[in-house]
Amino acid sequence: MLKNALALLAVLLAAGLVCLQAQSARSVWDGVYTSAQAQRGGTLYAANCASCHGTELNGGESAPPLTGGDFLSNWNGLTVGDLFDRIRVSMPADRPGRLSREQDADIVAYMLSVGQFPAGSAELEHQTETLKQIRLDAANPNSGKQK
Amino acid sequence: MHRHKNGLRVAVLAAIVGVAGAAWGQQPSTKNGEWPYYTADLKGSKYSPLDQINAGNFSQLEVAWRFKTDHLGPRPEFKLEGTPLMVKGVVYTTAGTRRSVIALDAKTGELNWAYSLREGNRAAIAPRQLSGRGVSYWTDGKGDDRVIFVTTGYRLISLNAHTGQPISGFGKSGVVDLKEGMVTGTGKQIDLENGEAGLHATPLVVKDVVIVGSAFKEGMTVATHDNTKGLVRAFDAKTGKLLWTFNTIPKPGEFGNETWENGSWANNGNTGVWTQMTVDEDLGLVYLPVETPTSDFYGGHRPGDNLFAESLVCVDLKTGKRKWHYQIVHHPIWDNDLSSAPILADINVGGKAIKAVALPTKQAMLFVFDRVTGQPVWPIEEKAVPQSDVPGEKTAPTQPFPTKPPAYGRNFIKIPDDLIDFTPEMRAQARDNMARYKQGPIYNPPVVGDPSGFLGAMELGNASGGTNWPGAGYDPETHIVYAEAGQSAVSPISLRNPPAGFSDIRYVLGRNDTEFRVSEGPGFGSAADAPQPRRPTVAPAKPAAPTTTAGALTVQGLSIVKPPYGVISAINLDRGDLQWQVPYGETPDVVRNHPALKGMNIPNTGQGGSVGLVVTKTLVILGDSQVTTTPQHPRGAMLRAYDKATGKEVGSVLMPAPQSGSPMTYMVDGKQYIIVAVSGGAYSGEYIAYSLPSDN
Repeated sequence: MLKNALALLAVLLAAGLVCLQAQSARSVWDGVYTSAQAQRGGTLYAANCASCHGTELNGGESAPPLTGGDFLSNWNGLTVGDLFDRIRVSMPADRPGRLSREQDADIVAYMLSVGQFPAGSAELEHQTETLKQIRLDAANPNSGKQK
Repeated sequence: MHRHKNGLRVAVLAAIVGVAGAAWGQQPSTKNGEWPYYTADLKGSKYSPLDQINAGNFSQLEVAWRFKTDHLGPRPEFKLEGTPLMVKGVVYTTAGTRRSVIALDAKTGELNWAYSLREGNRAAIAPRQLSGRGVSYWTDGKGDDRVIFVTTGYRLISLNAHTGQPISGFGKSGVVDLKEGMVTGTGKQIDLENGEAGLHATPLVVKDVVIVGSAFKEGMTVATHDNTKGLVRAFDAKTGKLLWTFNTIPKPGEFGNETWENGSWANNGNTGVWTQMTVDEDLGLVYLPVETPTSDFYGGHRPGDNLFAESLVCVDLKTGKRKWHYQIVHHPIWDNDLSSAPILADINVGGKAIKAVALPTKQAMLFVFDRVTGQPVWPIEEKAVPQSDVPGEKTAPTQPFPTKPPAYGRNFIKIPDDLIDFTPEMRAQARDNMARYKQGPIYNPPVVGDPSGFLGAMELGNASGGTNWPGAGYDPETHIVYAEAGQSAVSPISLRNPPAGFSDIRYVLGRNDTEFRVSEGPGFGSAADAPQPRRPTVAPAKPAAPTTTAGALTVQGLSIVKPPYGVISAINLDRGDLQWQVPYGETPDVVRNHPALKGMNIPNTGQGGSVGLVVTKTLVILGDSQVTTTPQHPRGAMLRAYDKATGKEVGSVLMPAPQSGSPMTYMVDGKQYIIVAVSGGAYSGEYIAYSLPSDN
C-alpha cells in the first residue's frame, strides 16, 4: 500500500515537475534569436514572402499581416513551433517546403525582430519540438508591457 | 418537463418536415430541412426556416461531428472556404489542397465517398487554387442524382451523388473542359494546359441547366492586359452540351462593345464572374455579378466605361441574351469586383409589390433594382468623383450612388472623424501617418506613389472590406437583408512602371522607389501538384526595408481607423433603411489588452473581415474572423447567434479557429445541425457540425 502511495507520489511529483517545466518554458521576450540570424531572415523574407505579405509585413489582398495587432491576436498563446510548422507545411505558397528548416527559422527570427521582440545571444533552433517550448506572448510576461 | 417539451417540439418539427418533404415532391429544398444550394436556394437568401436551434439554446450547442480535411491532398489546407450542401441525409462539399469532393453522412460525418482528379501542372498554375467554395446538386427527381463541381484546373465534372463516380454520359466521361472556348485577343483559344482560367464559385444549377462563370489571376501586377477574356456559359445538366455563352466583354456588334474605346475590347481580358450567381426560375432570368477588367488599378489601355465590367447583368435563362444591366462602377480602377451573390427579394415599397434584386458590394452600398426591368427601386444618382492624374488614365466623371438604403458600412476614411481616437496621442499619430497618403472620398483614384509626395491613394474596403465573396443573407418573410461588412480594410494604392520586359501595361501596383514584386492571388501555387521542394541557391533580393512609422497603417499596433472594425446590418427592403446595426464579433485581444488603454471602458469594437452568415427563423448566425482569449472563453473564435429582430447577441459557441467559410444549416431525423468551415493561423481546415445535446 505504502509502496503504491510512494509510487503515486513520485508520479505526481514528476507531473508537477513537467508542469513547472512547461510554465518556465521560454517566451519570445527572452531573446530567442540573434540579430545576425534576423538579418539573414530579412533577405530570405524579401525573396520569398514579401510579394504576398508585403515588404513591411503588413499583409496584402491575399495574405495576412505578419506583424501588428491582428497577427499577435491570432498567435498569442501558441508557440514559435506552431508558427514554424505552419510555415513549413504551407509556405511559400507557390512551393511549400521549398525552404530549408534553417531558412524558415531565419525568417521567423526576422518576423520576431520586426515585431520588436528582443534579440539574444543564441540563434533560433530549427526543430519544431524545441520551438514548441517558446511561447508566443503578445504581452511581455515579465514587464506587462504590451507589444 | 423542459426535456419533455423540447422532445415534443422535435417530434412535431420532424412531422412537419416529413409532411413538407412529401408535399414538395422530389426536388430538394430548405423547406424539407435540406440545404441544396450554396446560398440555400436559387435566390441567394441563405435562409432556412429551421428553428430547433434558437436563442434559448444556441449556447448549448455541441460538436456533433468534425471532418478534418488534411489528407485530401498532399498537404493540409489553411484556407477552407466551402459551404456544404445537404440533400437527402448526405452532406456534399469540396475540401483539401486537391479540391476533392466528399460525401458525408449528415448525422455522423462518416465519409461515404471521395472523388478527386489529379490535374498536375494544370492545377498548379491555376488562378484559383485550394478547395474552393463547394459543389452543386442536380436531380431528375427519379433517382438520377448528381453532384457537379469545377476542378482547380477548370474542368466541369458531374458525379453520381450515390457513388462519387463520374457520369459517363456527361461531357467526355463525366468531364467538360471549361478551357475550351476561352480566348484572348479577338478570339485566340487559350492553351488547355497552361492557359489562364479557373473558378472558386459553385456552378449555378437550375432546372436542367448548369451555368458556370470564370476567374483569372489577380490583376495587380499582371504581365499583359490581353489576358483571357471572361465569359459565362450554360451547359445541359444531363449531357454537358454547351447551350449558350454570354461575353462579359462584348464583341463587335454586341451591346456595349463601343464602351471599350479605340477597339480596346480586342486586347483586354478578365471581366469574369467569379462569385455566386442567382436565378429567378419562374421569370427565367439569371443575374450575373461581373468583376473587374485587366488591370485592377490602371485602365489606360481600355478607355471608356468598359461594359460589362463591375456590372450587374440580367440574362435570359434559355438563351443567355442580355435583358438589362446596371454598371455599378464605370471604368473600374479600384478592384471593386461585384463580389456577392445578387439577392432576389419580393418586396413591397409604398404599397407596391416589386420583384427586386439587391446587390451587396465591397463598397457597403446595397444596390436595389426591379429585377424584371432593371429600374432602380429608389433613385440612384450619378455624382461627380475625383479624377485621376496618372498619365494615360481617363477616369469616369461620375459614379452611381444609391439614395436608399444608406451605406451599411464605412467605405472611405473621413479625416479625422474615422481615425483611431482611443487617446488624443493616437489620433494625432494617425493624422500624421495619414498625411502621407492622398485622401479622398470613395472612388479616390490611384496615384503614382512617391516617397517625397504621396505614398499612395487611400482606399478602404476595395481589397477586403465591405461585403466580399461570402455575400449576405435575406429573410423572405420580413424582407430584410442581413449583411456583415468589414470597416477597417485600409488599402492605399500606388502605381509604378513595371520593370522592363515584365508587362505591356504602363502601370502596375507598387512604387518606383521600392523593389518590384509580383502580387499573387490567394493560395496561388498551393494546389496539390504545385512543384515541390527545390532549395533556392542564393537569395537574390535585398533585405526587406526596416519598418518605419512614416505612413504606417497602424498606431501602436492598433488599426489606424476607429471602431467598429466590422458591423452587421439589417436592411429593410420595404423601407430602404437600416433596421439595426451592431458591431460584428467582439473586441480583439490587441485592443482589450493594450497597456495604453488600460482602465478605459471601450465598447465592443467588433472585428474586421468579411464573413458569411446563415439566416434562420429567428437568428442570424456567423462566426468570428479572429481568435480571442477572454475571461468569458478560452482561446478560440466564437460562432455567434444574433436576434434577427434586434441584432442582440443571444448565444455563442467556441470554435477552435476562425470561421473561414459561410455556415449552413439543415435537419435530419428531427435534429438541426449547423456546419461551419474553420481554418487559419496554426489550424488546418476542418468542417465542424454543431447540434443540440441529444437529451435537449
